[in-house]
Formats: sequence, structure tokens, C-alpha cells
Amino acid sequence: MSKAIAWDEAEVRGPKTAYILTPENCGKMLRRAKRLLIIVGGNILDDEYTKVGMVNIIERIANKLGATLAISPGVFRAFQNYNGTKYMVNVESVVERLLDAHWMGFDGGGKYDFILFVGGLYPFQSMMLSSLKHFAPTLRTISIERYYHPNATFSLENLSFEKWREGLEALLKALEA
Amino acid sequence: MATRIKIKELESGGLKIKGLELTVGRVTEFDEWAEPMGPTPYPTLMDLRAWDLKLLERYPPFYSPLSDFCEFCTYGKCDLTAGKRGACGIDMAGHMGKWVLLQTVMGAAAHTTHAHHLLNFLIKQYGADHPIDLGSEVEIEAPITRLITGIRPKKLSDLLDVVNYLEGQITHLLSATATGQEQNYLDYESKALHAGMLDILALEVADIAQISALGFPKGDAETPFIEVGMGVVERNKPVILCIGHNVAPGSEVINYLDESGLYGKVEVAGVCCTASDLARLSKGAKIVGPISRQLRFIRMGIADVVIVDQECVRADVIEEAMRVGSRVIATSDQLVGGLPNYTNVDDDIVVSKLVSGEELAVVIQDPVKVGRVAVKAAQLIYPLRLNQKGYNRNEIVSKASACTLCLSCTKNCPIGINVGLAVNMAKRGDQSLLLEVFDECLGCARCDASCPEDIPVLSVIDAASEDKIKNERFKIRAGRGPIKDTEIRKVGRPIVMGEIPGVIAFAGCSNYPGGNIAVAKMADEFAKRNYIVVAAGCAALDIARYKDENGQTLYEKYPGAFDAGCIVNLGPCVSNAHAVGAVVKIASLFARRNLRGNFEEIADYILNRIGAVAIAWGAQHQKAMSIATGANRFGIPVILGPQGVKYRRAYLGRSEDYDRWLVYNAKDGRMVYVGPTPEHLLCVVETMEEAMVTAAKLVMRPNDTPKGRMIKLSNYISLHRQFYGTFPEDLHLFVRDENDLPITMKDEILTLIKQKGWKPTETPDPTLLSRMIFGGR
Repeated sequence: MSKAIAWDEAEVRGPKTAYILTPENCGKMLRRAKRLLIIVGGNILDDEYTKVGMVNIIERIANKLGATLAISPGVFRAFQNYNGTKYMVNVESVVERLLDAHWMGFDGGGKYDFILFVGGLYPFQSMMLSSLKHFAPTLRTISIERYYHPNATFSLENLSFEKWREGLEALLKALEA
Repeated sequence: MATRIKIKELESGGLKIKGLELTVGRVTEFDEWAEPMGPTPYPTLMDLRAWDLKLLERYPPFYSPLSDFCEFCTYGKCDLTAGKRGACGIDMAGHMGKWVLLQTVMGAAAHTTHAHHLLNFLIKQYGADHPIDLGSEVEIEAPITRLITGIRPKKLSDLLDVVNYLEGQITHLLSATATGQEQNYLDYESKALHAGMLDILALEVADIAQISALGFPKGDAETPFIEVGMGVVERNKPVILCIGHNVAPGSEVINYLDESGLYGKVEVAGVCCTASDLARLSKGAKIVGPISRQLRFIRMGIADVVIVDQECVRADVIEEAMRVGSRVIATSDQLVGGLPNYTNVDDDIVVSKLVSGEELAVVIQDPVKVGRVAVKAAQLIYPLRLNQKGYNRNEIVSKASACTLCLSCTKNCPIGINVGLAVNMAKRGDQSLLLEVFDECLGCARCDASCPEDIPVLSVIDAASEDKIKNERFKIRAGRGPIKDTEIRKVGRPIVMGEIPGVIAFAGCSNYPGGNIAVAKMADEFAKRNYIVVAAGCAALDIARYKDENGQTLYEKYPGAFDAGCIVNLGPCVSNAHAVGAVVKIASLFARRNLRGNFEEIADYILNRIGAVAIAWGAQHQKAMSIATGANRFGIPVILGPQGVKYRRAYLGRSEDYDRWLVYNAKDGRMVYVGPTPEHLLCVVETMEEAMVTAAKLVMRPNDTPKGRMIKLSNYISLHRQFYGTFPEDLHLFVRDENDLPITMKDEILTLIKQKGWKPTETPDPTLLSRMIFGGR
């Protein structure tokens, strides 16, 4: 028996809350994305992310899936060697554009169908996911944070640090298989 | 509050009327004030709606629901997720608009009540005819009041009219939130903007009244230095601690100490805005710190008597104070705390009951009596409580031994500090992480409440940090209040022309991700770059709680004038009015625009010409939301730190949307593209670096001269490169012609922006108001 409880225990939502995926299934789910946008939050250089090499993980996901990176300005430098498609953008501003059914993406090439969130302060990220859940309900969102995010469409469950580190490896393996 | 009569067509007897429109304004006392009355004195909910809708068209609300439900009536709760409507018919956007309006009304109501209480007290003490006097160099004594109400207050009782207006409007706004009233989210937002504007008016009323009556500084740049920090309160004297925002009871403590020859024998300290006000009244008053220090200082037991007034008083303060043997006096009808009312009981009886412990906490709603009782009680209680002052460090830290590393405290930390790990390390004998946590901690104690082992986590953090607390001593200039007209005349032109790159106002509470150091570093950076930096409220206190490499606080490092490269402490929260007032005065003194009842024109002027931006890095309270929304209606953009996302609403522009950035050229009525200046009206950023670069961008205005735009662009580019390592990608949107380009980077930038398809644009005489075309003729 298990209950899906948000990392911030007061973040009680419902009835539409995130489906919990295993890291492997996260990888498989991401492979379904036709046009993936990865929103990188301003805390991506915090200790826990650094310890798992999250910047590298994001770059590998983006490379594999041809994803676009929307990077919070304060941490853009961390991706200076990444040669794929990347934009420096305030996270609220990109989420606001995602609510617009007519927005065709940064490059005008079409709507993003899958949005991956990582690297934000938990409550901030939760609120961005909430905006999309309420005002862009057909858009699929996924969180690969260590903690359960109820406002996403898909999320990992709350994991110990070691389980998360191993899970991210499993996610990459599933993705790159 | 004007009354309008419209008669389309009337024929009666020999009288024929067609198309008559008559406006009867509020009847005011004869005033020699020559300035003509503008179109909207005492504006009601509808009078400025057209202006609001212009703002909201360019900066539509962006909502982030904090809950999926509406719980306002017995139909519910209703799930409003993903387009569903509630049983009353409301959708999530409408519900969010209602929440925003409620929050802003709460803020405006709190400040209005504060102003009213203070005004009643000051009139009682100093007389209804006591003059409004902000010093010889402040002729425009009440720019916000003049602008909004159309009156020029000369005496305290004049401000009662303003308070009555505020209370009437706030009731109407609150009414609109009831089920079955307003339903459109944009109209909720218009009303929220109205509430915010009223809040700023309330701030001004409160502050000019107390400055005039209590002898606070009147715009002096070199106000005295005051000690701030948890280590500044002397423990070998009786201590009275004042918490809240209304200075009346605390001021009477100081008056009584003076009168009875006890000044200096009793410590008077404060937390939050009451502390800032006491420091304006007396150099000897100590400031413990902002709201993040409130519970921590109470728990240390140093205060013998705690006086609470109104606003920002923690809901557990009375209980916590009594737990350490401090006696509490509640002084405002806004916070009675379930305590017995001793207002009409003889002083000696009250003192005796407090000293004996028969009553640990009482209500006294007479500030003068509070002054007497608090001093007498503190002197008698002090020797009885000597063993209750300060932490028993070892005993408290040893409570960490119960930690099971469940991380419940970490999960419940509002800013995600890994408190659990720090406590668990302390259990194993290593307190080093607790000392780091101390620096970032908000002092909210949600960790205590969440601990299944009942560890008093906040006390463990503080007890381990005892040495840091004892050495927490900083200096801040006492709040100076208004900006002088002479200063405005000096800087008005360079600000409007853009030669001073901008006015950056730091406001808000202490809900910081990562401690107060960010707000101080931002203030330092902007002052170094010759911006005018002003601060008020907890943000002003937090700027002081940082020393540079030379051991100086920023208030010691920079002058306190309203000028380029200075840092001004305006005062407590209510002094935020002077930041807005300063930009209003620029429109009046520099541009010669009429203020009287002329809100829309002045807000249009500010939005298009004055590069002022506010940063509320740690905004937490509804009042901060309300002030920010008010600033927005005045045309001032506001940047919030990441916790500000929980206000649930931003006003975001879209830089690439050409049509949003068209304005009238007042010279000929043509629509002209001016670029996204300013791009947002209210936005949340994630990092300190992003806040700084965003502020440097948001100070750009359509009216900037080429030299001014060049200076603003230089700072924007320089900060962008410093923090992000690149040139801004959106530079082409802010360059109107080659004269705007910083000379040293001209060729490089030209190449970059031409790659983006840049073409020169013109610089109009910008306005959003069609009636201002041809100067309003």
C-alpha cells in the first residue's frame, strides 16, 4: 500500500493529480514526446542536482530527443557548452506562452506536446505546473525531481537520494536503449 | 466622490434640455490652492477602470492556482480544475481574480485601519488642528493624497476625510468578492488595482500624520545611525519589546521614560515596523530586526514586557512570550488575543497583577496607559526573571538527540532548507550545519510543528548559534520619511531623461530563499552603478544586516540622499508611500503636470517616462501584495522573489507581441511602436541574478533620451554579461536608433541586432491616453 503525498505535505491537490511513474517508465514516456520542451529551473546548480550531474543528464535527454531547453537565466551559464537548441528565459514567461494555444514555440516550428520540469524551487515549480494543469490541460507535463509533484501529469514518487540517483540512470538507459 | 447627472433629452414647459451632463464634485472647504481639479477626485470603483483595462490588455494576468478548489460557499467545495466551473458558475480565472482581490483588500484594510487608529490617537494627543508639516523643503506634503483625492491636507483632521473615503471604498471592494457579485477576472483585477492604490494612499496618510505629530525626521539624508540586530539589546536592564506596526504605544513608553527620568534605564526595542518607527522617534531605541527575528527573540526570553500592536504579529507570540515568563500587553482592537481587558482598570492594579503573574497578558487600549504600565511592570518583573533570559545552550541542543532523520522538518521548511540533516548532524556532535541554517532560516518554526519527536527545532538552531546572535550588531540610518522637493528638482530631469539609470525600490518582507544577503547584495550592486536605491519595511532592515569586506553596512557605505549612488532608508512599511510619492512628485515638479485628482494622467506619465522599479524579494504578507498591486496601477513594475509565486498572479507582457507596444505619439496622435518598455508589470524571478538583470531591463521607458537609453542599455548589457555571460538576446527590442548604443560596444551590438532584423524606430512623446494627444487640447 502506498499513498502519493507531495514533498511539501501541505501541497494537497485533487482530484487530478500526477500519475506516479518509475524512472524507467519516465524514460519510455519521454520517448513518446514529439516536441519536448525541458524547463530548467533556477536551482539546478544546488547541491543535490550537482551530485547527480543533472546538467549532464538534461543535456543527454535533450540530445537524445532533440528537445529544446528553456533555461532560467540565473543558471544559463551551466549550459554554455551545450550546442543543442537552448533559450534563456524567465520560467514564468515561458509557462505563460505555453498557455496560449496559438504559440508555436521559440522557433515557430509548432507547439510543444510534452514539458519536462527540473531544477526549480519546489513550491515555485509546483505553481508553474499548476498553471499548466489548469489552463493548458491538454499539455502533458512530467517531473523528474526527487520529490512527487502532484500538479504534473507524470511524476516520480518521493525517493531517497540514492534511489533517485539510480533512477535517473535507469531513466537514461530506458531513453537511450 | 463625484455625483454625475446625465439628461439625454428633456422638454418641460418652455425648457428644453438636450445632452446635458453635469458632474457635482465633493464639497470641500475653500482652499487657495490654484491647481485645477482633475477628472477623478476620490475615484470610485469604476472611475479608473478604463486605465486598468489598458494595463491589463498589455499585461494580462497570469494565474498559478495554489488550490484546485473553491471553498467560499456551501455549494462547495467545488473542483475548478482544467476548465470546470463551480456550482455558482465561477471558473478558475474568476476564482483567482477573486483571491487576488481579497488579498489586496486585506492589505489595504490593514493599512487603512492602522492609519485610522494612529490618526485618532494623534488627534487626541496633539489636536485636530495640528498642522501637516513635513519640513520647509517639502512643499508637496502629500503627493498621493493630492493625486487621488484632490485635497491638500493641512491639518490632522483633514486626513480623517481621506480615511473615511478609504473605508467606504474598501467596503465596496470586499462586497464585490461575495458570491453572486463580480464574476469577470479582469474586473476583479481592476478592483484589485483599486485596492492597491487605496493601500498606498493609506500608507501616506499614516506616515505623514506620524511624521508631523511625533517629530520624526522630515526628509533628512543624514539621519542618525541606529543599532539593529539580536545582539544589540542590553540584557542587564529591564527590556520592553514592541512588535507590530503602530508606534503609538511604543512612543508613549518612550514619553513616559522621559517624563519620569528613567530614559536609558529601561531598554526599548522593537521588531518589524514598530521598531523602525521607534528608531525615528528616539536614537536610544533598538531594532531587533525584521519579522524573521520575532519568534526567535521572544523565545530567548530577554523581553520582560512585550507590547503587541497590529499587523505582522505572529499568531503564537502571546503564547510563546508567556511560556518564557514575559508579560504581554495587547494594544489594538485588531489583535486582542483572547485576553482580559484592563483598559479601564487602575494602573497599580494592572501592574500588580502582571508582576505577581496573576495575569500574564492583558489588553490595554490606551497608548498612554500602556506607556506607564509597561515601564512600571518591566522594572518590577526584571529582577524576578533573570534566570529566564537567554538559552541554556547545552540543554536545548541536546534535544536534537531525539532526531530520527525523518526529514519532516525539511519537507515543511517553506524555503526547502535541509533542517533535518542539520539537526541530525548535531545529534552526532556536529553543529556546523545548524550555524549555516541559522543564516538562511525564516524563523517561522514550521519545523517545530512538524517534528514527530517534539524537538523545538528553531530553538535548537538558535541555541547552537548563540555566539552569532550575541554578535549580531549592525547599523542602519533611521527612516528619513519623505523625499525633499529640492532633491526631486535635482534628479527629476536626469531620471526622466534616463541619465540616472533608474530608481530601484526594495520593499516587502523576509520570506527569502537563501537568507537576507541577496537583498543587500542587490542594493549594493545598484548603488555602485549609480541607480537611486530606496528601501522600506523589513527589506530596509535586511539591507542593514550585512557588512561588506570593510565591515561596513550599506547605510554606512553609501549616503542617504535621494540621488544617484545612494541608499535611502525611507522607514517602515508605511514609508513605501514616499517611494511612490517621489515619482509622483517628479511628474509634478519636473514635468509640471497637475496632480490634483488627476490619477490616470500621472500614472500614464510614470509608466511611459520614469524608470522606477520595485523589488520585493521576500514578499510574504497580503500587504506586500497590495502595495505591489498599487504600485502597478501607478505604472511602476514590481519584481517578486520565487516565493512571490504564491500570490498566484503576475502581470506579464510579451516582448514579441508588436501590437502591445504601440503608444500614441502625443504630438500628432499617430500610433508608434516603442518596444517592450517596460516588459512586465509584475513578475516572479528565481534568482538574485535574474532579479538584477530584470530590474535593469524594466527601468527602460519609451521616453528615454538617446543618452539615457544608452546608459540604461549599458547597465543591462553589463549585468547580463556579468551574471549570464552573454549579450542579451532581446537587445534589438530596446535599441531605437544607433544613438542609443553604448559607444564602446556600438559595432559589436549593431552586428548582433542586425542579425535579428533590427530596424530603427522613432521616439515619440508617449502616452496610452488618447485624450493626451496634442497635450490634451
